Amino acid sequence: MEMYQYTATELSTMLKEKKCSAVEITKSVIDRIHAVEDKVKAFITVTEDVALQKAEEVDKKIANQQPISELAGIPIAIKDNICTKGVATTCASKMLEHFVPPYNATVIEKLNACDYVPIGKVNMDEFAMGSSTETSYFEKTKNPHDFNRVPGGSSGGSAACVGAGEAVLSLGSDTGGSIRLPASYCGVVGLKPTYSSVSRYGLVAFASSLDQIGPMGRSVSDVAMLYSAICGRDAHDATSAIREYPDFKANLNCDVKGKVIGIPKEYFGEGVSEVVRKNVMQVAKELEKNGAVLREISLPSTGYALSAYYIISSAEASSNLARFDGVKYGYRTAEYNSLIEMYEKTRSEGFGDEVKRRILLGTFVLSSGYYDAYYKRAKLLQQQTTKEFHQEFEKCDVILTPTAPDTAFKIGENINDPLKMYATDICTINVNIAGLPAISVPCGKDENHLPIGVQLIGPKFSEQTLLNTAFAYEQIVGGFSCIPELN
Amino acid sequence: MKVDIRHIAKLSRLQVKEEEIQKFEQEMEQIVSMVENLPQLDDTGALIDVNHPMVMREDVAQHHFKREELLKNAPQIKAGCVVVPKIVD
Repeated sequence: MEMYQYTATELSTMLKEKKCSAVEITKSVIDRIHAVEDKVKAFITVTEDVALQKAEEVDKKIANQQPISELAGIPIAIKDNICTKGVATTCASKMLEHFVPPYNATVIEKLNACDYVPIGKVNMDEFAMGSSTETSYFEKTKNPHDFNRVPGGSSGGSAACVGAGEAVLSLGSDTGGSIRLPASYCGVVGLKPTYSSVSRYGLVAFASSLDQIGPMGRSVSDVAMLYSAICGRDAHDATSAIREYPDFKANLNCDVKGKVIGIPKEYFGEGVSEVVRKNVMQVAKELEKNGAVLREISLPSTGYALSAYYIISSAEASSNLARFDGVKYGYRTAEYNSLIEMYEKTRSEGFGDEVKRRILLGTFVLSSGYYDAYYKRAKLLQQQTTKEFHQEFEKCDVILTPTAPDTAFKIGENINDPLKMYATDICTINVNIAGLPAISVPCGKDENHLPIGVQLIGPKFSEQTLLNTAFAYEQIVGGFSCIPELN
Repeated sequence: MKVDIRHIAKLSRLQVKEEEIQKFEQEMEQIVSMVENLPQLDDTGALIDVNHPMVMREDVAQHHFKREELLKNAPQIKAGCVVVPKIVD
């Protein structure tokens, strides 16, 4: 077995037991990138030299018998909308093609304190707007299970690199399903944490009230480990919650006896493919066999989520993206006669079509005379959705649904049909609307050998319960073998 | 629902090419008709999360960055300043 194939949990133990060195791990991952990146195209920037230098430092610490953290020496890829000091952070946009942040996002500071190995910055939909990573200005990332298919999005690079063995762990961000959908399509584990549990300082804002950074990996334990490292209060993010967090990995427990698992009928209806429904329900049955109790529940507002999501997220995006004006940083058009012309040409040339579409929609719903008809109604629906979840969580501990209605689609299949593309987020969006945590875990494959994902949703700050339930399923099936051959 | 793309584009500081107007208009109208299906809900409550008040940090002056560091990302600089088109005569 090659080093890049191990999970972070295994590598961490191997490092501590001196069965391998951090440099060996990093070299193995770099070799893997050299071997498959031409086909996968997960990375926008590979930081080989920095990674090796960091790995050497970790090895020195180990040689000097200094204490090291669990993530020390583990190669982690970072979504390209998370600011990394001195390393380009492009948001997969022409607008930020040459932007080099003068500071680190809080999550990067936290990972640095753990001595992680920064292996590179990974591809995404432009400004995280999309479900397939096809709206990236730079390249189209391929699904490691079928190069003709999308990896999902918007954190497609984060999912594909972990799925292909080009990184051991990764960070993504999730505004409407952008961690869970690609995790599901690429057969990896992805956690969208409770809104406010991970600092958004240094995450380039898309929809500030919905965005959340989260971990992706090839095992539940790996994801728990990375989540523990990044969560916590940060004074630089006024929305970040003031509370203490446990050591999620140390507290992992696969006992699901007596746990009540809610199955919302609205998530298994029309549009969900037969094979997805069957595999997801199989997870429920396996958990039931191990002592969990299944209960049918109902979330009646589910069908309205997509509408509320596109109003709220586009409204916030139109406001957040107003900062890209070609003045202080980012792209500036070459020729202009006035300030307004500079703004307009800069933005029209710097943004791609999907970003423009969302800015236009957001500007429309916030424009004079339309606020009450759209934005306010969407915010009211958000309250209603939150209330429904709250009520159902009095009857169950965890809600189980598919992560996506179907498996990965072909590249180009939905690119000219925004509504069809938006519908792929139908199972994940409500979670962001209500600010809840949710995890996507692989649960078998369809007839084309494409991974299927099951989503577990919990009340706010119930990450430990979600991780434990996911861990229980992982133990039942004997782990997730994620990395395909790629020959 | 008719969407006036030219007006919305102006507010957004975006130029939409003549040949793209129809495409954007069609797409936007489809999206707008999707979002129009939202139900009418009781709107008497507050739209903020009362259980999760935000806490401001102390307003303390800190020297985070060097001027040159920040100007490195600027598209055009001169004498330590960002260059922009003339806006007053």
